[in-house]
Amino acid sequence: MKNILFIIVVAFLSSCTTTAPIAKSVAYKGIYDEKPLTVLLMPPINRSTNVEAKEYFHSTLNIPIANSGFYVIPTFLSMEILKKESAYDAELFLNSPLTKFGEVFGADLAVFTIIHKWDKSGLAAKVYVQVEYIIKSTKTNEVVYTRTGDVTYDASVSTGVGGAWGALADIAASAINTAATKYVDVARACNAYTFKDLPAGKYSPIYGTDGEQLAGKKIFKVRLNSKYR
Amino acid sequence: MKKILFISITVLMLASCTTQKPLYTWGKYEITSYNYLKNSDEKSTQQLIETYQNIIEKQKGSRGVVPPGVYADYGFVLLQANKTEEGKAMLLKEVALYPESKIFIDRILKIIEE
Repeated sequence: MKNILFIIVVAFLSSCTTTAPIAKSVAYKGIYDEKPLTVLLMPPINRSTNVEAKEYFHSTLNIPIANSGFYVIPTFLSMEILKKESAYDAELFLNSPLTKFGEVFGADLAVFTIIHKWDKSGLAAKVYVQVEYIIKSTKTNEVVYTRTGDVTYDASVSTGVGGAWGALADIAASAINTAATKYVDVARACNAYTFKDLPAGKYSPIYGTDGEQLAGKKIFKVRLNSKYR
Repeated sequence: MKKILFISITVLMLASCTTQKPLYTWGKYEITSYNYLKNSDEKSTQQLIETYQNIIEKQKGSRGVVPPGVYADYGFVLLQANKTEEGKAMLLKEVALYPESKIFIDRILKIIEE
């Protein structure tokens, strides 16, 4: 009886854990102190060998951040203004003052995304991504949030048929899944997973009350697929 | 006894992991905005416009309002497609719903008038 209880407790704990036992109010203190509302997405910095990776991330960053309760400056509009202001290359601003973005956009935070790796493996339909997220305050220029993920995304669609025929069917099903849809989903899953521990913004019903929740690991390794939400 | 304990703990376990209803729903936003970003042709523009209309008209998020940036980017896409009046009206809707957007919406309106 005691054993069962123990196993269940362990299962319970492991079902939701983030292992780093730091509260979000400590890990992301700057966000809780400054109470930012408006977020500017910097165009992702692509250091991977896949030229397309930038767009995959650019079109999937705003949903998890907006759904956390922040005001995310609309992407197409901000792109236009950044281009007009010759500020489209985010690399230039990674280590320089961001006050200008506060003045031009009213942004409290700037989100930098650095795609370090984006590699595909043929038949197994796996994508391996290494991505770093850095959120800086436009007021203090301090990093208020950063996480780096090693993500293995499994794009294979299981047909649920076993054996050799099943494996063949699985490969065919994966190929039908169009490339763009699949790769946009890779970026979506990376962003969704990472920003799960983003402090709640002003439009969230739990705004200001989530500081005791635990922050995720700063550097993490995870396997994701299209079902990850 | 065992059964009750097991059921109650399972229920607790499930409850602790459920994802709440999101603040906003976005339909096919990701793929259609990607296609527009990549191609900006007639087809991708039309599909993105449909996505925006869908987000606005069939919003099922817990806040029950249009998500940040949707009116604004929708307006911007309309402006790009030379639908100036419609586009401007959308930009002003963004300001009404999210006053924090006024600063850059004013800037974009100025760029258009240049």
